[in-house]
Amino acid sequence: MKATLETRNLTKRFGGLTAVDHVNLVIPEHAIASVIGPNGAGKTTFFNCITGFYTPEEGEIIFDGQHSLAGLSPDKITRLGISRTYQNIRLFSNMTALENIMVGHHPKLKSMWFESIVRTPRMRREEEEALEDSIRLLRFVGLAGMGDTLARNLPYGAQRRLEIARALANKPKLLLLDEPTAGMNPNETSEMMHFIRNLRDKLGITILLIEHDMRVVMGISEQITVLDYGSKIAEGTPEEIQGNPRVIEAYLGRGAASGLSAQQRPAAAAI
Amino acid sequence: MNTTLQKGLRTGTIFGLIILFLYMIGFTTIMSALLGDFLDLKGPSVGAGSVPGLVVLIGLIGLWAGAVASQSGDLSEDTWLKALVGGLAAGVISGLILALLAVVLNSLEDVARIRQYLVQISPQTINLFLLGRETGMAVAPLYLALMTASGLLGAALSRLLGRGRLRTAIASRRDAAEKALFSIPFLKKEEGRRILRLSIFAVLLALLFLMPQRLGQYWNFTLGTVGIYVLMGLGLNIVVGLAGLLDLGYVAFFAVGAYTIGLLTAPQPHGIMWDFWAVLPLGIVIASIAGILLGIPVLRLRGDYLAIVTLGFGEIIRVLARSDLLASFAGGPQGIRNIGGPSLFGNPLNSERAFMYFIIISIILVIFITTRLERSSVGRAWIAMREDETVAQAMGINTYRAKLLAFAIGAAFAGLGGVLFASRNQYTGPEDHSLLVSINVLALVIVGGMGSIPGVILGALALKGLPEMLRQLEDYRILAFGALLVVMMILRPEGLWPSTRRKIEIHTVEEELPPEPVHPRSTDQPVTTRLDTASDVTISTDVREA
Repeated sequence: MKATLETRNLTKRFGGLTAVDHVNLVIPEHAIASVIGPNGAGKTTFFNCITGFYTPEEGEIIFDGQHSLAGLSPDKITRLGISRTYQNIRLFSNMTALENIMVGHHPKLKSMWFESIVRTPRMRREEEEALEDSIRLLRFVGLAGMGDTLARNLPYGAQRRLEIARALANKPKLLLLDEPTAGMNPNETSEMMHFIRNLRDKLGITILLIEHDMRVVMGISEQITVLDYGSKIAEGTPEEIQGNPRVIEAYLGRGAASGLSAQQRPAAAAI
Repeated sequence: MNTTLQKGLRTGTIFGLIILFLYMIGFTTIMSALLGDFLDLKGPSVGAGSVPGLVVLIGLIGLWAGAVASQSGDLSEDTWLKALVGGLAAGVISGLILALLAVVLNSLEDVARIRQYLVQISPQTINLFLLGRETGMAVAPLYLALMTASGLLGAALSRLLGRGRLRTAIASRRDAAEKALFSIPFLKKEEGRRILRLSIFAVLLALLFLMPQRLGQYWNFTLGTVGIYVLMGLGLNIVVGLAGLLDLGYVAFFAVGAYTIGLLTAPQPHGIMWDFWAVLPLGIVIASIAGILLGIPVLRLRGDYLAIVTLGFGEIIRVLARSDLLASFAGGPQGIRNIGGPSLFGNPLNSERAFMYFIIISIILVIFITTRLERSSVGRAWIAMREDETVAQAMGINTYRAKLLAFAIGAAFAGLGGVLFASRNQYTGPEDHSLLVSINVLALVIVGGMGSIPGVILGALALKGLPEMLRQLEDYRILAFGALLVVMMILRPEGLWPSTRRKIEIHTVEEELPPEPVHPRSTDQPVTTRLDTASDVTISTDVREA
């Protein structure tokens, strides 16, 4: 199977602390993959390395089998087709919902700045396309009619969905979601799970998510990677991860593995 | 209820003190005379002021106080009772302050000694404040009654005009008018709307071009200065208001423009004496190159650091211009005299009026460019960068290039302003380019409302025009000006005319839609109906501007 993203020995250090330690990861095309781990395990750092916010000290990141992402700036990486959302929602709060999505379109626009002044046919065509496509995305995430609302005035759930719509605007091949269900109630969470699965099925993109809610992780991922203190300690399907004693140890401490694995199984089976 | 009362009392105190302050700096005298003339009020006048004018002025301020006091923070709990209580409290308190002032003024024995400190307090202004009577005791309850009545009236008016928000009332009127207008068959088509829009522009343009003809030399000069500040404000508005880069050395680019025309058209120090029209574009280009050259090293800095570095750069330009080292090149502290002016077919065009026309044309051009940029991907990139630079970069925006562009365009506008300024004054020197210019321009952008073009114009009028109008206050001009700024920032912290985002989504099925779809899938129905209207997308894009 073709890999959308592959990291080889990816390492990021902050002074003496190794936040990401020789992580090898392969994400197959059209997969929904998760990265989990206790707080401070290096999940978000891992995301930041992929998206170019941090430059890793060691290792390689190969995107789509051909592009090496090492040393590229975030905007160049986005242009290659990787989009992301943030753990704490980071919308452009004083822009309207529609404008937020249109900013996401930026990588697709080719006209030069002075074309905006004279409004060349190319610039006008691009603007029209961007607007139409943004309205389509707005509807796709269920925010039709709220396009002219300032992003900061949207309700929480709508902000989460708007952030995803913005990330989808540049037609990414890989979408990174950083805790998409953080702060949501069980209802909203199951809607979000449905929505994420829909994204993959309808748009055919590959999704990598960081998530703390085990119900979400076990419910939608096809591949789970567990990080602890920066290094990968386990990888596999939800079933394999649930039974893995090293994972339980990382979350609950030494000695808990034998006692709890039996109780967790039925809970997971219920999902 | 308690909070309403508190707010009323607080507002009343603030407004009462404002009136007190305005009286002490002599503002009430001037304004009462102006109002008396303007409204053609018959009535006794005392000294320079007019008694009915003063009553109207104080009454208007009372209305305002009542309107402000009637608006509680929580909109859903606005009631008539609350509004009236707020207005009443504000009116009574401000009335008491005025009554107290009247009593104090009435019992003043030694006016001459107080005049040493407060020159505006003269027997005449005291008589004016006491409404021309000799007894202050009768006037005190009169003030109390006036303020109470106007406070209540203000509260009632603001309550009537839709939750006290005059702006929403105006907006709904405008929307209704728009709807009525666009139901005319001719205007239903896009061309019809375009013709309407063009004709509105044409009328505005005609008014603007008639204005300098009607104005005298003094006002053409004063408004010309305001216009040059508008130009600079529009430039800085791109840098600070849109792109969010705090530039405290903006005057540097103004200086580059001014010195370019100075060095290339004046007989001293180089005697190059090129034509104005050749140097004008050169000045703009050199200023924007200066913007890029400064931008390349410093735009990697963020926030406060950028502000400090640009502040330094602005000062360096001024210090260099006045240094002995460059005296033979740039004229030193004396500056450059006899800077050339524009001419057309051999006729010199260097009157204040001609320059007023140049400035108006420049402003229109600059507004045109700014609006076009703001409503395109360039403007969206700038605003996104202002909102969150990291995320903007993650959206695929080359933030470094976007910043350089903002700097270069902002510098170009300042350069244009500098060329016009130096050429109009026929002189430029280091003291024209002090830090105060940067601060003034930044202040007018903030006072007007960051990122808003009409805000910049209003801000320039308020900050550069008002001090001219307040010139009669002489010594208290700057004091009054500072007080006005403080009051304004308390009353309208977001600026005189805050920027709003354009509405671009189609607004056809809007009314039937619930305001907040709680469950995304519940909106599926409207979504499909709205798909049919997708062809309208382009029509409503530039008509609606909020």
